[in-house]
Amino acid sequence: MNIVAEQPWLWAGLLAYLVATLVAMWGLSPRLAGSESVQSRRHERVVLGAIALGVLLLTIAIAVRWVRIGHGPWLNLFELLMSQLWSLGLIYALLYWRLPGLRPSAAIVMLVMWILGSWVLLLEPADSHFPATYYNFWKWFHVGLGKIFLALMLAGVGLGGVMILRRTERGRQWFRAMPTDAAIDKLAWRLMMLALVFDSLMLITGAVWAQDAWGRYWAWDALETSAFFTWLLLAVGLHVRLSFKVPPWLSGVIIISIFALAFVTYFGTPYISPSAHKGMV
Amino acid sequence: MVQILQALASLKLTLLGMVLLGIGAALSYGNPEHVSVWVLVAPLALLAINLAAAIITNPRINRQPGLLVFHVGLLGMVLLAGIGRLTHLDAHLEIAQGQAFSPELLMDVREGPWHAGALDKVAFTQGRFTVDYAPELRRGLTHSQVFMPQPDGSVLEVDVGDDRPLVLERYRFYTTHNKGFAPVLTWIPADGEAVSGRVHMPSYPLFEYKQDNHWTPPGTEEDIKFWLQLDTGMTLEDSWVLDGRNSRGVLVVTSGDQRVELKPGEETRLPHGRLRFDYLTTWMGYRVFYDPTIQWLFFVSVAGVFGLGQFFWKKLSLTAWTDDDSETANKRGSV
Ligand code: HEM
Repeated sequence: MNIVAEQPWLWAGLLAYLVATLVAMWGLSPRLAGSESVQSRRHERVVLGAIALGVLLLTIAIAVRWVRIGHGPWLNLFELLMSQLWSLGLIYALLYWRLPGLRPSAAIVMLVMWILGSWVLLLEPADSHFPATYYNFWKWFHVGLGKIFLALMLAGVGLGGVMILRRTERGRQWFRAMPTDAAIDKLAWRLMMLALVFDSLMLITGAVWAQDAWGRYWAWDALETSAFFTWLLLAVGLHVRLSFKVPPWLSGVIIISIFALAFVTYFGTPYISPSAHKGMV
Repeated sequence: MVQILQALASLKLTLLGMVLLGIGAALSYGNPEHVSVWVLVAPLALLAINLAAAIITNPRINRQPGLLVFHVGLLGMVLLAGIGRLTHLDAHLEIAQGQAFSPELLMDVREGPWHAGALDKVAFTQGRFTVDYAPELRRGLTHSQVFMPQPDGSVLEVDVGDDRPLVLERYRFYTTHNKGFAPVLTWIPADGEAVSGRVHMPSYPLFEYKQDNHWTPPGTEEDIKFWLQLDTGMTLEDSWVLDGRNSRGVLVVTSGDQRVELKPGEETRLPHGRLRFDYLTTWMGYRVFYDPTIQWLFFVSVAGVFGLGQFFWKKLSLTAWTDDDSETANKRGSV
């Protein structure tokens, strides 16, 4: 097997994420509830430190690849996964740091992150071609805003997962250190509303880019349709809560469904459909 | 009246409208020909009425400025997108080097019933172009030169291509992958005036293997077939620049059982007249787009999102991120 320059850094970054995942899960164990490290929440510092280290190593991996092939990680699935692992880690680390209430849910978040982590390990780090339409500077906003959106959704998935798991005795044990379901629900939907802000901005900047790149701002191609569904489902979720009393577990299901749709939009649709949106010619 | 408005403002209707819009979006995927725009227009109209009624009657929206701006923004976007569809124009254009634009050149025109742009004021002349290719014929940047006459009589030269359209009278001309070569020919009939014109060969290098076309001289039934043998320096292995200045062509002319190869400047005698291959030039294919609402759509949507941001910020500044307020938090209502 031929190892390219960025791979060792990528593996090291994932190793750091693995440490974060394991320590986060370790902190949930009811058997360790009395341990000093869990009591004083010192293990949370290890989780945060390991995610931060992972982000740093992934930054190096991305930079090394950038230098090697001459352009950023915008195009093929290997690049997108690597770049999302980086940005999800970075933004989630910030949330983890600023919002102590959600910390135990990192065990769920990091497990979800491993869908990307194990996927990227299966892919060839093939070079990608940089299409003419990618010189456009709106791509920075579109991609950047989209990264914030997905990270907020991911943090919501952690909280949604907690609300669902807490329906079981074991789940209540695991997440004993978290606030009440009602408070988690409130926090989760705040993240959703913020996600809606960034999702909307991502769609707007994407439309501007599409107008520049293909001479139309919206054409219901596969990615646009899928992204619109995600946006609409987010709106539905927010309004369902306005019209009905939604139990926390259902809140969790709604949030996870929106995330699942966003996930398919990011990592499925562009590679399933041969549409122009892939940016290739 | 108020009761009717309140009924129309129901949030359950909002959810119904959103579900219908979702179905409409699913049906619109890929812009299929047979699906009517009504699958989108009907749910959007329902949502617009519902939203307008809510904005008027529901203090939860109209007393919260940020949320109000956001929802009014949504309404504005639906309205603008509608106006955009009614006034838009979409078309394709193939224009040869040295040729001046004229509206008759537009092909595949699709326009809204209210389209009323100043297309007749659009004036430019196509210049030459280059297209960069990476190995394996992967297309890079396009540079297309256009000349625009200025009010003071001078001519302005601009370079357009890819995401840098030529914008004139709000019409936006985008270069496309569709471009190629065009032999310029002069037909000198046995009796009558000589005419010159161009024959556009299929898109290059997409149809590199199929550079042919045919033409029937006016007043005859003769079918003259053209096949252009090109030397453009194209390679699959290396990078390459498609450039009319570095390209040569030999035109193979076939009529009946007569077959001749013409180099630029050469001519041949055919049953109904003489045909001269003057020189080889290029043509560029543009996508033409006109929609007077796009800037407005941008501003209204950004303003709306800022409204939502403000609403979020205000809520956040009233309570902590993670307050454990289990009494009120999970009641029906807001975040
Ligand atoms: C089209 C008809 C719509 C109507 C009638 C409507 C109505 C309302 C109403 C009455 C509220 C209540 C505010 C409160 O209680 O604090 C609200 C909140 C909200 N709406 Fe809409 N809305 C519509 C469409 C949309 C759409 C399409 C979106 C976004 C994609 C959206 C996003 C929001 C958000 C984020 C909130 C705040 C939710 C919260 O405070 O928890 N709305 N809407």
